[in-house]
Amino acid sequence: MTRLLFALMLFVSSGADAHQPEMDMAPRWGGGYGFQTRVEHFDDVTTTWVEGVYTWDKSVRATFKLPYRDGELGDLILGLPLKKYVNDGPKTANWSITPSVQLPTGDRGEWDTGVSFSYSSETPSFYQLYDLYTWGDRTGLDINAGFAFPGKGSGTFALWDVSLLTSDQGDRVQTGPVFVYFKKNMMFRAEYKHLVYERDSDWEGGFFNIGIGFVY
Amino acid sequence: MIYRFKALALLIALSSSPALAQDYVIHVNGIVCEFCSLGVTKKVSKLPFIDHSKFDRGVQVEIENQLVTIAVKPDAELDKDALFAAIESGGYNPVEIFELTSDGERKAYQP
Repeated sequence: MTRLLFALMLFVSSGADAHQPEMDMAPRWGGGYGFQTRVEHFDDVTTTWVEGVYTWDKSVRATFKLPYRDGELGDLILGLPLKKYVNDGPKTANWSITPSVQLPTGDRGEWDTGVSFSYSSETPSFYQLYDLYTWGDRTGLDINAGFAFPGKGSGTFALWDVSLLTSDQGDRVQTGPVFVYFKKNMMFRAEYKHLVYERDSDWEGGFFNIGIGFVY
Repeated sequence: MIYRFKALALLIALSSSPALAQDYVIHVNGIVCEFCSLGVTKKVSKLPFIDHSKFDRGVQVEIENQLVTIAVKPDAELDKDALFAAIESGGYNPVEIFELTSDGERKAYQP
C-alpha cells in the first residue's frame, strides 16, 4: 500500500517538479512543437515519460506528459502554460501560470488537477527558474539556477537544482547538479538530486533523471 | 608570385566576409540562447527575400550581442515589416535594423 501511494505520488508530482528546459525555454515560436522522453528513478521506482509541447504563440502553449512504469501506461497529464515574456536587452524572462489536469487513462487512473506558478530568466551566461506548484495535498518548490556556456550551434548549461516538497506522504528536500547540452534542435539533460532531508516518510536514495528532446 | 598570392588572399577574404551590401543586422531584445532562438531562424528564413546560400539558411544569430544578421538576395528588396513580424513570431522583440556596408560597417537602414 505504501509503495502504491509512493507510485501515485510520483505519477502526479513528477509532471510538475521534474522540469526539462525544453518545456520552458523552447519552443517559444508560433507553431513550434517538440517531443522528449526521459527516464527517472527514485525510491526504487523507475518511470519513463513521453512528453510533448505545442506553442501557438510564445504566451500560450499546450503540453502532455504520459508516464510508463512496470509495463503499464499511467495517467495522462495535460497542461496549459500561459506565459508573459519580458525581453530586455541581454536578458529574457517570463512569468508563467500552468493549470494542469490529470486524466484517468492508467490502470489505477484517477482525476487530479494542479497549478504551477513559475518565473525564469536568462542571459547569455546565466539561467534561473523558480516554480511553485500544487497537486492535491502536495505543494512544492523547484529551483534551477546556474551558468550557460554557449557555443556555435550548441551549448551547455551547468545548473544546481533544489526541490522542496510537502505532502500528506511526508516532506522532503532534494538537491543536486543538472547538466544540459543542446545542439541545434536537440536537447539532452541529466540530473541527480540527493535526498538531504525527509520527515514522516520512508523515502530514501537519490533521484536520477535523464532525457532527450527535440523541437521543430 | 607575391602579387598573385596577395590577390588570391584578397579574393578569399572578400568571398568569406559576411559583410556584403545585401546583409543587414537587427538588434533583437532578449535573444540570449541559440536553442531558444531556433524559431527566429525558422521564421526569418521563410521570408522570400532571404538568401539561403549564406549563414544558416540566410540567418545568423549572435547571442553575445543580441544581434541577428540576415542575407538578402541581390535581386530582392528587404521588407522590414515582414522581417520584424517574423522575429516577433519567433518569440523576440526586434529593436532596430542596420545595413552592413562592404567593409563591415553598420549604417542606418534607409528603406
